[in-house]
Amino acid sequence: MNMQTKIQAVQNGVNTEALMGARAALTETPAAGQFTWRAECDWINGTHSRSTVQGFFGLGAEQSHTKAFTMEADHPPQFAAADNGATPVEFVLSALASCLTAGVAAVAQHRGVQLRSVKAKVEGDMDIAGILGIDADVRNGFSAIRVSFDIDADAPKEEIAAIVAQSQKRSAVFDIITNPGNVKVSVA
Amino acid sequence: MPRLAAVIIGAGHSGLAMSRALAGRGIDHLVLERGQAGNSWRTERWDSLRLLTPNWMNGLPGLPYAGGERDAYMSVPELVGNFETCVAANRTPLRTETRVLAVTAGAGYRVQTDQGLLTCDSLFVATGACSLPNVPGFADQLPAHIEQVTPINYRRPAGIGPGAVLVVGASASGLQIARELAMAGRNVILAVSNHLRLPRAYRGADILAWMCNAGVFDTPYDEVDDIERVRRTPSLPLMGSEKRETLDLNVLQDLGVEIVGRLAAVSEGKALFSGSLSNLCALADLKMNRLLDAIDLWIDQRGLQVPDAERLGPTRLPDDPRLSLDLNGIGTVIWATGYRPDHGWLQLPVFDRKGRIRHEGGVVGDGLYVMGLPYLRNRHSTHIAGATADAEALSGHLAERLANRHAA
Repeated sequence: MNMQTKIQAVQNGVNTEALMGARAALTETPAAGQFTWRAECDWINGTHSRSTVQGFFGLGAEQSHTKAFTMEADHPPQFAAADNGATPVEFVLSALASCLTAGVAAVAQHRGVQLRSVKAKVEGDMDIAGILGIDADVRNGFSAIRVSFDIDADAPKEEIAAIVAQSQKRSAVFDIITNPGNVKVSVA
Repeated sequence: MPRLAAVIIGAGHSGLAMSRALAGRGIDHLVLERGQAGNSWRTERWDSLRLLTPNWMNGLPGLPYAGGERDAYMSVPELVGNFETCVAANRTPLRTETRVLAVTAGAGYRVQTDQGLLTCDSLFVATGACSLPNVPGFADQLPAHIEQVTPINYRRPAGIGPGAVLVVGASASGLQIARELAMAGRNVILAVSNHLRLPRAYRGADILAWMCNAGVFDTPYDEVDDIERVRRTPSLPLMGSEKRETLDLNVLQDLGVEIVGRLAAVSEGKALFSGSLSNLCALADLKMNRLLDAIDLWIDQRGLQVPDAERLGPTRLPDDPRLSLDLNGIGTVIWATGYRPDHGWLQLPVFDRKGRIRHEGGVVGDGLYVMGLPYLRNRHSTHIAGATADAEALSGHLAERLANRHAA
């Protein structure tokens, strides 16, 4: 089976043709590749808040999701909270898993590998002595993050490992988490 | 001075190869060199450096390696001596100690040098791919006490001031410099970005012998999937040494070098490193094993009787690689973060938005050519002996251009 028929037979639900087209187009017009992503967050009560995402900027113009998406965040009863949603740090872990998983699907499609199932388990270790202000030497965020993939696919082990490695190399959230970045917070 | 058919700027292996090719086609030309032939080898290399290609790959134009140590790696002084022999043997029309200040368009090209003006119909830019070190923008945020060095001005461990050394970059230069500093007893931290990994020898031969024979360097520039990607592939992480040793992150860690992630930022007197080290090492291991699998297959298909495969183990990593480093404890930072050409004197609209010269396999257009850049025509384009084939192709292009002009 040659590469072309192999790719055509593979269906991971990723439109790599469109993605490669976009890559070629944006190489010619780099300004269109400048995106700004947004979220709005409203406080509800206690540690409960609701974030909404809909609009974003990209391809040189204002854009929109097909509808607004909301995410509720809160803390669990162990933190004396009402548990109306996942904790913000769990959103971070979910975002990492989603980003890497999307990358696995896209890279597998591009390389002609049919996926049957992909499961990512993510763990983040945290010493809450940091956020509680008990110990100034302990950082607030994760001291370690582990992602473990369980992938069933038509490919040898090394090829699956290479797909997972390439997914990390091209992941926005992986980059955001592993590299320092400047954050500016202002009050209107 | 009468107008020349062609001027070649740079008397390194590329420029000398082009001169020989033009001479062979009877095209009148002159080679300009800011110093002496092989100038960057004479002035921009550290003392202990040996070529990372075995001697059979190090022949200069018209001067194939003829010594008795084909599998050894020559020292820089030996190569410099060969440059002298090469210029004499080819009777290269060479003007040394002549620095090009500016090239502008004007009925062909006007080449302004510190020795006067030349005009020519065609111009070959052969000033090399590694003229300027790629130092990141945040280098100027390093504390003032830190001495900043690049592989272009690094000479030897004794020239490095007191204190620990942060080597940034784990390709051929960074690995070799980290190694010799560690062997000199220095405290070395190595920041590792995208990198490759190779054994020096495999199944009884130099890894480059297998790679050359199996044709992995041969794919032409217009047949590779993604030329941008292959052109920015890091240099091969090899070292030329008498004992044909492998050089990788495991070897360095055995010498006491601390491995950290990519240097991502300098902030408040601290160096901050990326947390992606384990993936970068996994990628390097995967790519190495994929290459060795291809070599095994090539050997099997030919039924060659060679020693069995022995693979290097995975790259070992610290459990918790350091994410930040207090720069108070660091005396020197060595930027082994790659190089770029210096084409600043070329005052022509031939650059892309990232300042790189636009070319198709070395052909820029209107009689302008560039040589010696990564993957100019294939992977051999940056090998010393690879210049001859590129010169043959590009001088052929020029000969055709001249023939068309005369016909017109």
